[in-house]
Order: sequence, then C-alpha cells, then structure tokens
Amino acid sequence: MSDNKKWFSLDLGLNNKKESSGSCGCGKSEGSCNSSPKEEELSADEFYEAAINASIGEERHRDGFEQVFDVKMDRRSAFKKLTASLLIGAGAVTTSCSVTTGSDTKEKAQIGWEEQFKGNYKLMTDEEKQGTINRLMRSYELRTDKKINMTAENAAEDVLFGYAFNISKCQGYMNCVSACVEENNQDRNSEMQYIRIHEMKDGEGFKFDKADDNYYHEVPAEGHFYMGTQCFHCDNPPCVEVCPVQATWKEEDGLVVIDYDWCVGCRYCMAACPYDGRRFNWSKPEVPENEVNKNQHYLGNRMRKKGVMEKCTFCVQRTRKGKNPACVEACPTGARIFGNLLDPNSTIRWVLENKKVFRLKEDLGTEPKFWYFMD
Amino acid sequence: MKNRTLIYSVVLLLGIFLFSCKEEGKYHSISDKIEGESKPYHGILTSEELLADTELIEITEGEHTFLIPERKGQIKSFACIECHSKPVSQMMGKDAPKAHWNIKLNHANSDAMNCATCHNGEEMNQLNTLTGKNIDFNLSYKLCAQCHSSQFEDWKGGAHGKKVAGWAPPRASNTCVNCHNPHSPSFEKRWPVQFNTKTAIERNEGLGH
Ligand code: SF4
Ligand code: SF4
Repeated sequence: MSDNKKWFSLDLGLNNKKESSGSCGCGKSEGSCNSSPKEEELSADEFYEAAINASIGEERHRDGFEQVFDVKMDRRSAFKKLTASLLIGAGAVTTSCSVTTGSDTKEKAQIGWEEQFKGNYKLMTDEEKQGTINRLMRSYELRTDKKINMTAENAAEDVLFGYAFNISKCQGYMNCVSACVEENNQDRNSEMQYIRIHEMKDGEGFKFDKADDNYYHEVPAEGHFYMGTQCFHCDNPPCVEVCPVQATWKEEDGLVVIDYDWCVGCRYCMAACPYDGRRFNWSKPEVPENEVNKNQHYLGNRMRKKGVMEKCTFCVQRTRKGKNPACVEACPTGARIFGNLLDPNSTIRWVLENKKVFRLKEDLGTEPKFWYFMD
Repeated sequence: MKNRTLIYSVVLLLGIFLFSCKEEGKYHSISDKIEGESKPYHGILTSEELLADTELIEITEGEHTFLIPERKGQIKSFACIECHSKPVSQMMGKDAPKAHWNIKLNHANSDAMNCATCHNGEEMNQLNTLTGKNIDFNLSYKLCAQCHSSQFEDWKGGAHGKKVAGWAPPRASNTCVNCHNPHSPSFEKRWPVQFNTKTAIERNEGLGH
C-alpha cells in the first residue's frame, strides 16, 4: 500500500498476512485475538469529538470550497484517528477478530471498512477505481449470491455528449420514461423517474405551471404538444458549484455525475438546479432482484442507497461504450437525438447547424447540452 | 527595496490572474467550445460491434454517406415473382388465389395514390417512381422522398428518424419503412406506457390540504 494514499484505511488482516500493529491486535486473518487492541477509555464527549475528527478531521475548520481531500497527518494523529475509527466501527472489528464468525462475514466487514474510508471517486487513480468497483461487485455477490458487472470507464477523448429533442415528433407515449426506469435501476417504491414528459396546450408556448406531466389518456391528445425534460448536463452546472463536498462534478465528456458514496444528501444541488433535473432518495431504493439491470457503471446505474442524490447520467454505462442512452433507443418516434458534439459529421451537429434550436432558460448561462427543435 | 518587492508581487499576481482566467474561461459558451474543439471523430468508441448482426448497405445521398438496413431479406414473401409470375393485369381474374387481403392502403387519398404509385405491376420485384423508373426494394426511401422532401432532408442529416445502434461511428440509420408501415404510415393514438401513481397521490393530497 502506498504511503501517499488520499485516505487512511483499516487493515483487518484479510489482504495482508504480515504482522500489522493497531488493526485488530493480532494481525491474524482468522482465529482469535488474545490481546485486545489498546483502547483508551473515552467519555461521551471525547468520543464525539474523536468521531468527528476521524470522519472529517481538519476539514471542519475549513470553508466548503477550500476543503482538501488529502489531509496530511503524522503518525500520532493518524493513530488517534484510527482509535476513534475503531470505536465507531467496533462492530466490524469485533466480527473480524472473533472466532465464531466465518470468512464471508469477515470479508464483508473488510469490504465495508474499505468502502467506508475510500476517497472521492473524482480523485481516484484508475487502479483505485478498479478497486472500489471490485469491492462493490464482490459485496453484491456476498449479499445476494448473484453477480453484477460494474465498470469504471473514464471519459473518452474527443467526445462531448449532447442531446436534441424534437418537439414536433414527441407523441407523449412515455416509452422513454419506462426504459429509463428499467435501465437505471430507479426505485420502484417511490416510482422515481428521471424523465418527465410535459403535455402542453398548442399555441400557448412553454407554460410549465399549466402543463401536465402525469397524464393518463390516449395520446397525442387533441390540441396538445409534448416535450421532455431531464438533467440537461449543463456545461456550466450550478448544481456542481453548490455541492459542499464535491460529490457531483462535470466529467471531460460533459456528463454531470454524482459519486453516490460521497454525497451527504444535503440536497443543495437539487435546489440549485433550475431544471428540476435531480432526484433524491427519501427511502431505501428497491428494485426486484429479477429486474435489476446488472450492467452497471460506478457513476451510473449502480444501486443507490437511502439519502443520496441521483439523476440522469445520459446512461453513462451505455454511452461510454458507444451506445445510445436507453431513452433514445426506446423512443418510437425518433424525437430523441444523441451524439458527439465535437464530431462535425455527427447527426447531432447537423441538427444544431440546420434546425432552429433553442434551450430552456438560456439567459441563466447554465449552457445546457440539451437542445429543443421543431420539424 | 520594499517597493520593488511590492511591484514584483503585484506583477506576479496579475500574471497568475491572467493565466488562470485564460485557462478557466477558455471558451465563452458551449458553441465556442464546440467550434474550437471540433474534429471528425476517429476515437476508440465505435458502433461496429453493435451493428455486427445487422445486414447493412451503404448509400450516398447528396453530401451524406451512411448505412441503412438491407430490406429485401426482411420481406417475408420476397421475391415477389415467385407468385407474380405474370404481370398483375394478366393475373387478375377469377381463378388466381387472392393475396395481400390484409393490406389496406391508408396513405394519402385514393385520388393521389394507389398500389401502382409505388409498385410496378409489370415487374413485381421492383418498385417504381412516379415517372415509371425502377427502384430497388432496398432503396425504397427514394419513393417516399418524391413527396416528403422536407422529411427526406432531415433524415439525410439525421434530424428525422432513428439510428440502428449507437451514437458512435459508423452511422447506420433506419430507413423510412423501418419505423413507418408504408401502407399506413402515420403513428396511431395509444395509451402512454407509464403512469406515476405516487405523483398522482401526492398531488391529490396537496390539493386536499
Ligand atoms: S440540468 Fe440541473 S442537475 Fe443537470 S447539470 Fe444542469 S443544473 Fe445540474
Ligand atoms: S445532495 Fe449530495 S450531490 Fe447534492 S449538493 Fe448535497 S452532497 Fe452534493
């Protein structure tokens, strides 16, 4: 393990057979620990203090934007933090050092630890990215006995994703919405949907307050037109600016993504988005096992947890393999066009150059990469 | 001495400021960025694998060259001359078996269009243009383009219609008949596939309060 890691991690001795001091006192991977770790007795207040120190440390003295992820520390403070972490995760430590628990449980605990103390995905090296997706895949297998396939492709060079929506073509069928829910493992309980299709009256322009985005009658309805909204992957995204922990950011290929494991669920980004692009998990997202899309990306459709933000990722798990997003593929009318904005031969570029295109709330300067046009 | 240090630091700061300004706001808008970094994509991502199972033919229309799905292999009873061994005019009669009874022409009105507008009664394996020129079934879009010229323009550019596979090159676009039934081309009214019961409940409750 390198010395310049961006976080400190607890070695429970599963990966590392050699004597390691301070982990669980013995360094053995199985069997009992005769000597218990040296623990200082802490009062409730001290414990609280130590816990905060361990989790955010110096960062709490810094302003949101100034936060740095690689907090440097000497051996002593590292050990102090470690002690506190040990206390917080007493459960995991107990399991790990106990005689009675099997190796599966220990592995789970080990994965749990490493996941708990991993860094922000944005700052990870490719190796570290691979490490975390391996852990996530293994942990899913341990929990459900089923395998998933998770990848961590980075943005490809010379690619900037963009989207165009033909208002004259959309008939309001909502095939895109259900394809999106299935592709992206969205919570079935709360019926989360990234895409909204707004039914609007002809001749009145865009009136979102008067539009209906949850209609249920034969479509297209007489005298109405339909338009879809979702995250527009702004080139100048206000949601990214406000995140206090930098859990959401814009990738090189223009996708605005979220590290679900770094998000603290403050919902600032949701408030900052002028387009209603973000969705919050108020409860634990549930997807029936047989409906889980097992082709996942770390930044895309992998399973989320309660209390984190999510949104459309332009199906990063598909688009970084050259495919179209699920909504584009599902639309029976061809109202949705997706492609590489940097490629002058792409169809999206032809649309931008030859049709009269516009974007929503252009005056805000958010620069959405999602254009509307008409025949 | 003090002054000099001050000047140095001011110049340095200004330098940093200007430099960072340039890097940060290299482009004023997304259109500047698109223009500035535009170049034909020859990167690692391709749709080739996704297209591997589809029989495709390459067409060139104006300045656009792209792939479309081969059609003749998809038509159930091609080749037509296996039944239409004689021109239609000679086959019309009492003893010939009735065929294509399920096809109703629901495309323009009967003053403007009938079967022979597109089909060549003398040579059933071919389609024909309004002026009687033969068109291969694989290139049926050329018939549609005779009347639907604006849709044709949009389709060539990529604003109308759908891709066969992914966004990445090579470009393969579905042709007219892959989405439209040529005998009844417009899309039908139907129910949306999705209804959000949770949203409906929330909104109802919202009204009640
Ligand atoms: S649409 Fe909203 S969520 Fe998406 S990038 Fe823009 S501001 Fe962020
Ligand atoms: S909800 Fe998550 S992603 Fe959004 S601002 Fe808060 S921490 Fe950042």
